[in-house]
Amino acid sequence: MAKNNVKKIFRMGLWEDNPVFGQILGICSALAVTNLMMNSLIMGLGLIFVTGLSSFTISLIRQYTPKHIRMMIQVLIISAYVIIVDIFLKAYLPEMSKALGPYVGLIITNCIIMGRAEAFAQKNPPLESLLDGVASGLGYTIVLLIIAFFRELLGFGTIFGIEVLGDWWTPWTIMIMPPAAFFILAIIIWITHNIKEKNEREVAK
Amino acid sequence: MKKKSIIYPIFFMAIITAFFTFILAFLDYSTAEKVANLQENELRQKIVYVFDLDIPLDDPEKVDRAFRENIEEETINGKTIFTLKENGKVKGYAFPVGGPGLWGSVEGFVGISADYTTLLGIDFTSHSETPGLGGRISEEEFKGQFRGLDLTEVKDKEYIIYKPATGGNVDAITGATLTSKSVSDFLNNDIAEFIREREGSK
Repeated sequence: MAKNNVKKIFRMGLWEDNPVFGQILGICSALAVTNLMMNSLIMGLGLIFVTGLSSFTISLIRQYTPKHIRMMIQVLIISAYVIIVDIFLKAYLPEMSKALGPYVGLIITNCIIMGRAEAFAQKNPPLESLLDGVASGLGYTIVLLIIAFFRELLGFGTIFGIEVLGDWWTPWTIMIMPPAAFFILAIIIWITHNIKEKNEREVAK
Repeated sequence: MKKKSIIYPIFFMAIITAFFTFILAFLDYSTAEKVANLQENELRQKIVYVFDLDIPLDDPEKVDRAFRENIEEETINGKTIFTLKENGKVKGYAFPVGGPGLWGSVEGFVGISADYTTLLGIDFTSHSETPGLGGRISEEEFKGQFRGLDLTEVKDKEYIIYKPATGGNVDAITGATLTSKSVSDFLNNDIAEFIREREGSK
């Protein structure tokens, strides 16, 4: 596998084709779990694990999979990995399992995973698919952490549960509520699109 | 072509399904005990908290011992009720309470003294209220207020009244009026019901 290829996969996953602000996928969970950074981090790690390994597995058996039932197979594989994450959290991180609640199970329906399976893993060798899945998951995690950073900082005055803004800070309640995620996500999409467009214009010149 | 046949996809799907089901069943089986233990521990910690026993909650062994020596569990009318005994004498009861919150149902336990005159404490086992707002019902600042509330001098079974109303004994949570209101509603209802059932059965 060429080094350039790896670089390209990560550049696509993290920036150009970033699942959240590039393809606007996985928004539901990006809005739901981002009021604390810790929740976002665990959710992101879960997604990296599921996207990476499901892409890997799907790619591994892609030549044997009959085309017309491939989506069934994909969903089955994705669900299996998600349940593994769920069992792991329940057994070893019960607090986190409670905090994330139904959103762990809902990783199954996260469009990013199926999107990567269809768009990449179905046509590429296993190792590249694994990296592609990890890159997309990483792109998702980073955006979640950025949103969570602003929400937790302004809403609780803390970062990863550690108090950074003192008592003088009046928490913005709205930041903890779902609407704030919409505002911040929209701002992030706005900024990144501006930068992308500017880059494109410069390339065109 | 082989892949177009009907048998092959069915066979393929069956193999894949069996494979992953086996892995998941194995993982579930090997962690089931641990998960059950964790859940039981958590519940026990809450019951110990509700009874206001002088035991460090983060020490599962001591919590466990308190349970073996002093706390009895029984199921009455489908409700799990814990009885606290010290030296053979009943000191108090803990019973489940619950009702609708703002977003979903709120469930918890209430500890009450053996003569039904004092509230020992409350704790919540599950809720889905907004973190930082209604979710603060599970913070000590809110829960702690219920310790030692007098249940004898109340009118119309209004055990919990938020300040500054007349007879108020507890502070509601700022910005979470609806959650606070439903918590006091189901607490009042369930405490009254528990006392009525108990005194009726005497």
